[in-house]
Amino acid sequence: MAPQKNDILQGTLGLLVLRTLATQKRMHGYAITTHIQQVSADMLRVEEGSLYPALHRMEQQGWLRSEWGLTEKNREARFYALTPAGRRQLAQEEESWTRLARGVGRVLRYA
Amino acid sequence: MSWMHRLRNALRPGRTERDIDRELTFHVEERADELARAGLEPTEAHRQARRQFGNVPLQAERTRDADLTLWLDALVRHLRLAVRSLRRTRGFSAAVVLTLALGIGANTAIFSALDAVLLRPLPFPDDDRLVHLPQIIDRLGGNLVAAARVADWEDLNTTFEGISSYNTEGISDTTGDVPERVRRATVMPRFLEVFGVTPILGRGFTEAEHTFGGPAAILISESYWRRRFGSAPDVLERSVWMGERTYPVVGVLPASFRLAERDVEWWVPQQVDAPWGLNRTYNSDTAIGRLRPGVTIERARADLTRVQARLGEQYPETDGGLTPGIVPLKDVMVGDVRGSLWMLFGAVTLLLLIACTNIAALLLSRATRQGHEIAVRYALGASRAAVTGHVLAEAGVLAGAGAAVGLLVAVGSATLLRRLAPTLPRLDEAVIDVRVLLYTAVTAVAVALVCGVLPAIRNARGAIVAHGARRTVTPRQSLQWWLVGVQMALSVTLLVGAGLLVRSLDTLSRVDLGFDPDRVLAFRVSASFGEEQDYNRTVERINRTLDALTALPEVEVSATAVQLPGVPGQVPRELTVVEAATETPLVADVRVVSYRYFETMRISLEAGEPCRRTLTSVGVTEALVNRSFVDRYFPGRDLIGLHLAGGSDDRIMGLVADTREQGASSPPAPIVYQCFSAATPFPWFLVRTRGEPASASAVVRRTLSDLEPLRAVYDVAPLSQWIDDSRAQSRLRTNVLTLFAVAALSLAGLGVYATLAYAVSLRRREIGLRLAIGARRSSIVGRYLRSGLGVAGLACIVGLALSAALSGLLAGMLYGVSPYDPLTLSAVVGLVLVVGAAASLVPATRAALVQPMRVLREE
Repeated sequence: MAPQKNDILQGTLGLLVLRTLATQKRMHGYAITTHIQQVSADMLRVEEGSLYPALHRMEQQGWLRSEWGLTEKNREARFYALTPAGRRQLAQEEESWTRLARGVGRVLRYA
Repeated sequence: MSWMHRLRNALRPGRTERDIDRELTFHVEERADELARAGLEPTEAHRQARRQFGNVPLQAERTRDADLTLWLDALVRHLRLAVRSLRRTRGFSAAVVLTLALGIGANTAIFSALDAVLLRPLPFPDDDRLVHLPQIIDRLGGNLVAAARVADWEDLNTTFEGISSYNTEGISDTTGDVPERVRRATVMPRFLEVFGVTPILGRGFTEAEHTFGGPAAILISESYWRRRFGSAPDVLERSVWMGERTYPVVGVLPASFRLAERDVEWWVPQQVDAPWGLNRTYNSDTAIGRLRPGVTIERARADLTRVQARLGEQYPETDGGLTPGIVPLKDVMVGDVRGSLWMLFGAVTLLLLIACTNIAALLLSRATRQGHEIAVRYALGASRAAVTGHVLAEAGVLAGAGAAVGLLVAVGSATLLRRLAPTLPRLDEAVIDVRVLLYTAVTAVAVALVCGVLPAIRNARGAIVAHGARRTVTPRQSLQWWLVGVQMALSVTLLVGAGLLVRSLDTLSRVDLGFDPDRVLAFRVSASFGEEQDYNRTVERINRTLDALTALPEVEVSATAVQLPGVPGQVPRELTVVEAATETPLVADVRVVSYRYFETMRISLEAGEPCRRTLTSVGVTEALVNRSFVDRYFPGRDLIGLHLAGGSDDRIMGLVADTREQGASSPPAPIVYQCFSAATPFPWFLVRTRGEPASASAVVRRTLSDLEPLRAVYDVAPLSQWIDDSRAQSRLRTNVLTLFAVAALSLAGLGVYATLAYAVSLRRREIGLRLAIGARRSSIVGRYLRSGLGVAGLACIVGLALSAALSGLLAGMLYGVSPYDPLTLSAVVGLVLVVGAAASLVPATRAALVQPMRVLREE
C-alpha cells in the first residue's frame, strides 16, 4: 500500500511524537513510527524519513532527551524520552490543536 | 541538547554524521525485518523499506542540520578558513601576531602587577577588617603607640575583635659562625589572632612568655627556617642565638605572612609588665586591630576616641591630647604607588591601542586586496553577515594567536618589572592566575573587534564593486596613511620626552657634589636602642672602631655620619645664633658627623678647625657651618667662636665650603655640622679606601668581627652606589618612558612599511606600465621613498608641536635641560626620518624590481 502523503500530518508531527512519548516513556524512532501507525488505525502514516529531523530538532529545543541503548534484539538504537519542558510543550500543543479543530469544525458546520 | 554537546558536534562533524547514519540505518533495517517477516524476500524487503523511508541522504542532511547550531558551525568554518588564508600570507600574519603579542603581553604584565598590588586583598583572612591604628598627637601627625597604651585599648574597647601591635628592629643573629643581621619584631599578645595567621609548625606565644622574666621563646619565618635550619622537621627542638642569649624556637610562621616591613624573620613576645612595656611615653609600636564583623570604621573610631579620652583623664601627662586614628591596613601597605601604577597601566593600554590601529590599517589593506574575492562572494549569494564574519574571524585568529604568545611575553616581563621596580610593595605576589588569564582573553576579544571592525565595515559596504574591469588606477589609501601618521606623531612626542629625561639624568650625574663620593665605603654596624642608656660607652665603642679602621693599610681615613652624604632625606631645622639675634629664626640642615668627616669626604675647610675627637656626650659640643649659611644670614661676618642654639648648644669653630649633600638635584643649602661621632647607636661608617671600596669590604668585616664579635656589619656598599640608588625612581621613569618611546617608534615603522608595501602591491600594474613606457627604476624608488618620508616629516612637525604643548608636564622633572633643547629635538627628528626611510626602502625597492611584462599580463 502506497503511503499517503499527508501535509497536515507534517505540521502536527511534533504533537504526535510528544504524545507518544508521554504515554510510552522511552522509544526509538522506528518504534515511534509504528506506534503512531497502529494507534491511529493506519489512518496516519508518517513519512518515515522526516521523523528524524523532527526528533533532533525537538531535542535541540530541549523537549526530548536521547541516549544510545540496546533493543530486545540486542541492536544499538537511539532512545528518546520526554523532558519536563517537553511535557509543558505537549500540553500547549494539545490545547492549540483542540482549538484549531473546534474552530475548523464550526466553520465547516455553520459557514 | 546542552551547549557542550553542540560544541562537540560542531567540532567533530564526522562523529555526528556516523551517529545519524547508524540511527537511520537501524530504522530501515527494522522495517526490512518486518517486511521480510510479512513474506518478502530479504533484498526486496530492504529495497522497499528504503523506499518507504524516503530520501535517506536528504533526511540525514536535514537531521544533521537540526543537530548543529547554524551559527556555531559557521563560526568553526570561518575560523578554519581564516587560518588557511592567513597561512597563505605568512609574513604578514607573523608580523601582526608579534606586534599583538608585545602589546597584549605588556598590558597583561602591568595588569597582573596592578591586580597583585592594588586589587587583590591582603593575604590575611577577612582583610577588610584589619586596620592600622596610628596615634595622632595634637594634629602633628604621628604613627607609633606605646605598648602600654595598646594594652589598654585592647582591654577597654567594644568594637574590635582584638588589638595588638609590634615594633621591629635589626638585631644580631649569632646562631651561625659569623654574626648576621636579622630583622626582629617584638609583638604584643594576640598578635597572631588579630592577623588570623596560624603557624605552620608549632604554636603562638603563651601568656607566660609575655611576662617579664618568663620563659624565652621565638617564632621564626618560613624563609629563615629554610635558610638557617634547612627546613629540618625537628626545628621545634632547636634554638637561635640573639647576641649572647639563646631563644628556643616554638613555631614557624608561613611565608605568606608579611608585614609592611617585609624582611621580618624573627618574632619575640613583648614582655607586658617589663619597665619598657609599662612606659606610656615610649611610643615605639605600630598598632593593628581587627574590627568585629559588621562594625564600621566610624563606629570603631568613636569607640576608640572614647577609650582614649578616659585614658587621658586617668593619665593626663602622658595620654592627654592624644587621639587614635583608624586607617584600613591595605591603604597603609600599598601607599602612594597607586597613582604611578594606574598611569603605567594607562600608558601601556595606549600602546596597545596604537598597535591595534596599526593592525587595523594592515587588515584594511588586506581587505582591499581581497576586493575581487569579496565581490564574487556577494555575487554567489553570501550574506553581509557572512562576509563580515570572515574578516572578524581573521582578526579573531590573529588576536588569539597574539594573546597566546603575549602570555609568554607577560611572564617574561613580569620578571623584568620586578627588577626595574624592586620597591613596589606586594609585587612578588604578582602571578599569572585565572583573573589575569580572563583579562587577557577579554583584551584579545576587544583587540579583535577593534582591528576587525573597520575592514568589516569596508567589506560590507563594497557589495557591488566593479572588479571585472581592468583597473590601472587604484584608490588612495588615505585612511591608512592617516593612522600611520598619527602613530608616528605620538612616537615623536614620546621620544622627545624620553630624550629630554635621558639628557637631564646625564647632566645630573656630572654635577659637582662638593665632596668626593668615589672610593668611599659605607656601612652600618648593628646595635640596639638599649644602648641609649649609656652613651659614654657607645661613644667610646664607635671611636675605638674608627681608630681601628683608619689604622688599616687599605684605609686612608674613616668617619661616621648620621645621614649619608649625597642621599636626600634631611628635614631642615630652625636655629638661632646666640650672640647675633635675628628677627626670623635661621633655617638650615643639621648634619651630625664625627671627627675626620671633612677629611674623609674631602670637603675643604675654609676657616677655623674641623671636629675634634670627643669622649663625653654632655657639655658644649662643637659645630661647623658652611659658606651658604654665612652668605645667606650673616654675609661678611666671621662666625667662629659664636654659639648656636636650637636643639643643642654648639660653639661654631669652623667654616667649610658648600656641598650638595642633599643630592645633586638640590642647590647648595645652609648646613650646620654638629660634631658628635655617636649621635645614634648605629650611625653610618664612611671609610675612604686606597683601592676599590668593594674589595676593602672583606677586610672591614674581618676587622669588625675581631673588634666586636657580637655585632653584624650590614648595608655594606660603596657610597656611589647609595647615591645611585637614591636616584632610582627618576631612572626608572626615564627607562620606562624610553622603552615606550622605542616601542611606539617600532610600531610606527612597522606601520609605514606595511602600508607602503600594500600600496605597492595594489599598484603593481601601474608600476609595470610606467616601467614599460620608460620610467627609470630609481625614480620609482624615489617616489615611494618620498611618500614614506613625507609622512614621517609631517609626523615630526605634529609630534614636536604636541611635545611643546605638553612641555609643562615634563618641565618639573628636568634638570639643566630646557624642554625645547635643540640637540634633543634634532636628534629625535633625525632618528624618526631614518626609521621612516628604512621602513620605506624595502617596499620601494620591491616596487622598482617589478617585472613589467609579467605584471601586465596578469588578470
